[in-house]
Parts: sequence; C-alpha cells; structure tokens
Amino acid sequence: MSRSSWIVVAAAVAFAAVILFSARSRRTHERHILGWLGVCAAIAALAIWRHGIDVLASAMGIYYPPSALFFLCCAALLVMVYRLSIGLAQEREKVRKLAQEIALLNVSRPEPKDGA
Amino acid sequence: MDRPRTLALLLAFDEAACVGQTVREVKAALPDADVLVVDDGSADGTAQEALAAGALVARHPINLGVSAAESTGLAYAARRGYGAVVRMDGDGQHDPAFAGALLDAVREGADLAVGTRFGEVRSFESTALRRVGNGFLSAVVSALCRQKLTDPTSGFRAFSPRGAAFFAGVQPHDYPEPESLLMAHRQGFRIREVPVRMRPRTTGRSSLTAGRSAYYMVKTSLALTLELLRAR
Repeated sequence: MSRSSWIVVAAAVAFAAVILFSARSRRTHERHILGWLGVCAAIAALAIWRHGIDVLASAMGIYYPPSALFFLCCAALLVMVYRLSIGLAQEREKVRKLAQEIALLNVSRPEPKDGA
Repeated sequence: MDRPRTLALLLAFDEAACVGQTVREVKAALPDADVLVVDDGSADGTAQEALAAGALVARHPINLGVSAAESTGLAYAARRGYGAVVRMDGDGQHDPAFAGALLDAVREGADLAVGTRFGEVRSFESTALRRVGNGFLSAVVSALCRQKLTDPTSGFRAFSPRGAAFFAGVQPHDYPEPESLLMAHRQGFRIREVPVRMRPRTTGRSSLTAGRSAYYMVKTSLALTLELLRAR
C-alpha cells in the first residue's frame, strides 16, 4: 500500500473513532451512526483497493474515473441533505404542536369583575 | 346555557397598542361570545392588554405564524364544544360589526363563512398591486372550488364546529387563507361569502409588503397545486 493509501485509511479510522465517541456520549443517533460508519468504510475501501474507482467508472460507463467519484459523492450528499431537510420539517412540526399545547394548557382568564 | 356558545377568536402578534381596543369592540358587538386572544409569541404587552380588556388569552411561547395561531384558537373551541367560532385580526382591521353576519351564515348551515371586502359594503382601497394579486388568486380559487370566491385572502371568517375541528388539526403553512378554502371545498364543507367591511390598520405594519407579494403569489399557487395532489 502506498503512503497516500495509509493516510486516507488513517483519516477514515479517525473519523470512525470520532463518530463512535460521539455515539458513546449519545450526541448522535444510532441510525445516523450506521450511515456515517458506512461512509468511513467506503473511503477506506477505495483507499486500499486503488483500482476500485476505475472498475466502478467503467461499470457506470464513465470514461474519466474521478468524474465517477464526484458523481457518487454528490449523489450521497444530495440524499443526506434531503433527509436532513425532511427531518428539520418534522422537528419544526413537533415544536409547533408542543408550543400550541403549552398555549392551550395555560389559557389566562380575566379577573372577574365585582358583582359578576 | 342551552345554546352552544360562540367564540370570538382574535389573532395578535405585537399588537399591544390596539388589541385592548379591539377586544372591547368585539365584546360590545358580540356580548354573548367568549373572546379568546391567541398571542403568537409577542414581545410587547399584547397578552396583558388583552387580558385587561377582558379576553381569555392563549400565549404561544414562540412565534409560530398566523396559521398556527388560528389552529390553536380552533383547537380551544373544538375541545370546549363551542357552537361557532369567528376569527378576526387583533389589530382591528376586521370591523366587529360584521362578525354577527358571519356567525349567522354558520348557523344557517355553512361550515366556513368568509368575509369579503368586495361585496356591497365599501371597504378601504388597497394598493393596485394587491388588487391584481387578489384578482388572480380569486380566479384560481374560484375555479378550483367551483364557486365564486371574491376575497380568498380574507382572514375574517367564521367556522362551524365541524370546520373548527378540521382546521384545528390540519392546516396550511404560513399564510393559510387561500389554501384553506380549497381544503374546505375538498372536505365537502359548505363555504359562504358574506360582505364585510375592513378598515385600514391604525397601528403596526402589514406582514405582506409589496416585495413579498409576488413571492406570496408564487408560493400560494404552488400550495394550491400541491393541495390538489393530496389525499383528502
């Protein structure tokens, strides 16, 4: 394995360690952790199997292999950002419902007037 | 009381300067109704002013927008079994003298009564741009609802218990009015227009500036299209 492969593998392992540490302190959710660990594994695999991207590119019919890498990265990012925006909308909806429920539980009544 | 009660619902966001006056006007116009002010996370003394004027007050801890404020008020009405709800703006733009006519429309069988500025009652003139926008929305909403609806952006409305229960649970985002007409139509609700007077605002600012109007038109058209694609 070349030096650049070692560096990338080390980076992937470090990233995986960061993810696992944040999972240990419950700062990330399990379903997100699996996805991120998958990303680490993919980076390490491409670093070790140096001709992997060439094989992928020719399988996808892409002449210039780095383009295949760009395409895959963009596609993965697009999916992740889309999932985040869906998640954000869901959270917003939950916050709205909570705030409304708080308002309904704390309806203030005017002081009764004398003789009323 | 034998007759189901009526709820006058006022929506207010930073309207401390005028909400007290509006509450007093509404109580004078509808002496038998309970008045609920939904304070949509105001930073000024809106809730205190409304309470001092004798209204019930529900406060959103954060600003959630007109649509959520309306649904909070309708949820209150639905849970407490009110017979009819009339919704008005807290800034006094909606003349409470016409609330009774909207409530009458609900008692005569409408699930949603919409106050229109373009009936036989004269209202103040809005800007030319807004009139064009309103004409466009009116044409679109009327075609989709197969019923002439001249003022689809009007927030001066009355709801039957069925209408209140539906819109307490499901609501459009942001500015809800035109979309909610289509939702009501798709629910098979009876919609009626009632001529009302609207007054120019005395304090505060409109949430719809000229610049935002174009964006509002595009967004509302998209929202109407999406509503057509939803399951009922």
